[in-house]
Amino acid sequence: MNPNWNLWMRQTWAVMRLEIGKSFFSKRGLWIYLLAFAPIVIWGGHSYEVMERGEDRQKMAQRSPGVTRQKMAMITDEMSKERILAILGPPARQQSFGRRHPVQIMRWSDGKAEFIVRFRDGELENISLREGCSFEEDSTVFAAIFQFFYLRLAIFWGCVFVFMNLFRGEMLDKSLHYYFLAPIRREVVVAGKFGAGLLATGVIFGVSIALQFAGMNLHFPKETVDQYFSQGHAIQHLLSYIGVSILACAGYGSAFLVGGILLRNPLIPAGVLLLWESINGILPAILRKFSVIYYLKVLSPVAIPLDKGVPGPLAMLAFGTDPVSTPVAIIGVFGLALVLLVVAAWRSRSMEISYAAE
Amino acid sequence: MDNEIIFDNVSKFYGEVLGVNRVALSIPPGITSLVGPNGSGKTTLMNLMTGLIQPTRGSITVRGMSPKDPENFFRTVGYCSQFDSYPKGFTGYQFVYSFLRLFGITHAEANDKAWAAIQRVGLEEAAKRKIAGYSKGMRQRIKLAQALSSDPQVLVLDEPLNGLDPLVRAETIALFREFATAGRHLILSSHVLHEVDIISDQVILMAAGYVVAEGQIRAVREEIEDHPMQILIRCQQPQRLASRLFEHDHVVEVKVHSDGGGLLVKTKSADRFYLLMNEIAAGNIDIETVAPVDDDVNSVYGYLIGSEEPTR
Amino acid sequence: MAVYKRSYKAYTGHLTPEWSRWIVIPRYAWQGLFRLRLLTIFYVLCFFYPLGCAVVIYLNNNLAFIRQYMPVPPNGILDIGNKFFLTYTVVQCTLAFILTAFIGPGLVSPDLANNALPLYFSRPVSRTGYVVGKMMVIAGLLSMITWIPGLMLFGLQASLADSKWVTDNWKIAWSIFFSASVWIVFVAMLSLALSAWVRWRIIAGGLMLVVLFVGAGLAEAIRQVWRIDSARFLDVSSNMGNIWTHMFDVKTRYTLTLEDSIMVLAGYTALCIWLLARKIKACEVIRG
Repeated sequence: MNPNWNLWMRQTWAVMRLEIGKSFFSKRGLWIYLLAFAPIVIWGGHSYEVMERGEDRQKMAQRSPGVTRQKMAMITDEMSKERILAILGPPARQQSFGRRHPVQIMRWSDGKAEFIVRFRDGELENISLREGCSFEEDSTVFAAIFQFFYLRLAIFWGCVFVFMNLFRGEMLDKSLHYYFLAPIRREVVVAGKFGAGLLATGVIFGVSIALQFAGMNLHFPKETVDQYFSQGHAIQHLLSYIGVSILACAGYGSAFLVGGILLRNPLIPAGVLLLWESINGILPAILRKFSVIYYLKVLSPVAIPLDKGVPGPLAMLAFGTDPVSTPVAIIGVFGLALVLLVVAAWRSRSMEISYAAE
Repeated sequence: MDNEIIFDNVSKFYGEVLGVNRVALSIPPGITSLVGPNGSGKTTLMNLMTGLIQPTRGSITVRGMSPKDPENFFRTVGYCSQFDSYPKGFTGYQFVYSFLRLFGITHAEANDKAWAAIQRVGLEEAAKRKIAGYSKGMRQRIKLAQALSSDPQVLVLDEPLNGLDPLVRAETIALFREFATAGRHLILSSHVLHEVDIISDQVILMAAGYVVAEGQIRAVREEIEDHPMQILIRCQQPQRLASRLFEHDHVVEVKVHSDGGGLLVKTKSADRFYLLMNEIAAGNIDIETVAPVDDDVNSVYGYLIGSEEPTR
Repeated sequence: MAVYKRSYKAYTGHLTPEWSRWIVIPRYAWQGLFRLRLLTIFYVLCFFYPLGCAVVIYLNNNLAFIRQYMPVPPNGILDIGNKFFLTYTVVQCTLAFILTAFIGPGLVSPDLANNALPLYFSRPVSRTGYVVGKMMVIAGLLSMITWIPGLMLFGLQASLADSKWVTDNWKIAWSIFFSASVWIVFVAMLSLALSAWVRWRIIAGGLMLVVLFVGAGLAEAIRQVWRIDSARFLDVSSNMGNIWTHMFDVKTRYTLTLEDSIMVLAGYTALCIWLLARKIKACEVIRG
């Protein structure tokens, strides 16, 4: 039989039209938006807070004009209150509370960093220097959140829901048979559903990452941002983040699509894949390549140092990978996705409608 | 053979549970009803016919096409399944239209076909309302519209008359009749035996996963030898007629009707009985009517499948 | 009239006391659950670690037996104390969480999806009784793999060790019970609340994992970006870890206090109860 590409394209689009609405606007999927857009709130809040704090520190610097970074660095834990006041001068802000054990907090600022000294019963209890936000620091934090939270948790679980729902959700809603009763190859149904899922997750997570990026840059001075953009790094980084997000959606999406076709309980493949992705760092080199995160980590534009302080369940997600070239990484993820889609298409041909078993 | 639906020794097992077993059928065009008690395998047979499930053994072809080739198969076959579920949030029109777009046709063509099908089932006014708000009967009709919308040559309907009010029922039956002309197949399952009797050209009786009988109902009835045919004769002299009938060995029982105006006769050979009746009618006994009492689906069902009463 | 003569007569036999009616719910739920082969296998596997611990405790207190076969340090194979029982609690509570992610979501969602709540509440079962019954399905199973074997291990060690060990470590028994109980109540309420709000039980199970993993991730993201430690209030696993380390008197890496973490867990549990109270109703108005 001659392949009828024209018809298949039209049918793929028809399936996508049906699925896109479900993937974007289903009530069940509201929490995906929460997952995707929570970092925007975090970065937006951060920018707002930094801008507010910046103004506050400028005011504090005007009140204690002699304070410099060097002077703040001279303060040590052993110093008395008098000695500290002699070096830094009168504090720009001062708070006192407590009756039996009075606590006194003094603040100075040079306009950028903030120096806080805390006394209890007149004795020095704690000193802390809060730096202003540096562009490099925020970029690294952004990269860390992208890898640890966004990629491995938000996109991962978002894809679990969207792609598992494409077949398994329809089985539960008892509506999959409508596709199977249409003059359309099952492979085309798989392609259309995958396309819709990829479009939905790509748009949701891609838009989110762009907004997060904007949120991160919002509080920096115009000249810093201009420099970042004019050197071409900003666009390159942003496109890399969006590209990696879409690749992640393609990689994880294809895996969960197969999971949704093969298994009744998607939690099992999701758990297994999460475990597989998590132990990727300790696997033999050959097995590492059969993982989505292996390639995505390479493609992330900003390398992050592994933080030993990463807590709880996140700790197991932190690991290093061997270097792989960008084209190999991209081809690797798409290759993996393609193999999984072929498996999905092949299995879909023998899929039966058996709603009673759900 | 290419215009028949053929089940070639088909079996379907759900694990250890029997769906249907060793079904061998050739269904000609016309209206064919699948009749049998709950769990007899009617829906399994329909799902097998349309590829929603796959046979454990054997093969199925519908007008020479296999359900394994959906791209061509469903341009000929439409199936209105028993599942009373619809894509969420769809209106009746969207439901029919979206399904048609899967055929790869243009918006304009799908739009025209969708409205034509909706009009055929008389749901124009409700078409723009969400299906979630439809009554049971309306949901049945929109499903029927969807199955009809692609103008298939074979229409498979699983209990299509359920939930329809008497008026719509009659209209739907007329629609089936109209559809089944011009050599098209209409396969339906039903529990309502008197309607099956009215609609069907042939029946397939099923019990416990097996095909118990198939063919035209009268022919099936004649095959059931252990239940003599019952015939009601209205006449003026029933006693005289009864004595005449007892002279023949194929007549096994004769009862005078309670109103005294006729006889209920049981005979082992309907053919010989009707020949005899011709002779008697030519004689001096005045016979008003001769009508078989148990050559309908209801009786055949009772004889073959047992006491389980399917009529709702 | 004949019809009236055959009319319904109310049950006049013995009634189960009101306080114990909820027991019927876990009784039948357990029967159903243990019909699932995979779950039964996993449940049996959950006893392997306590069994291993029992063997270690026994051997550790019978060094003479081991010395026949291999050299053993004078202080024993390992120190059976706070850290040993903390590790036991963490391992078993993790298994308990996985078990809950599988069984919890299937407890309420099918009743809601199939509109079965009116059937429950048309019998003498109250809403509280229903929730308590469903919770006991989880609590019973989890207790059997957490604090009950934990206390048995403690008892074994206490019976084999000298009296000084018992006087020095009696608090461990309370820590095992308290730590596991707080976790059981929390995960049970979380799974029931998710099960009531997400009718697709598989997604509800997934959300259990999401709450654990994504909560931790979100908390860490906020902590890194906003540079505030209090973001860890969002992280259930950190708070529970904090409670466990405090209870077993082991040095903690968490910056939160014990009271903070207990308040956080109590707050989440209260939220789950509120969510349940909103969904567990005899009737539901569906707007369509």
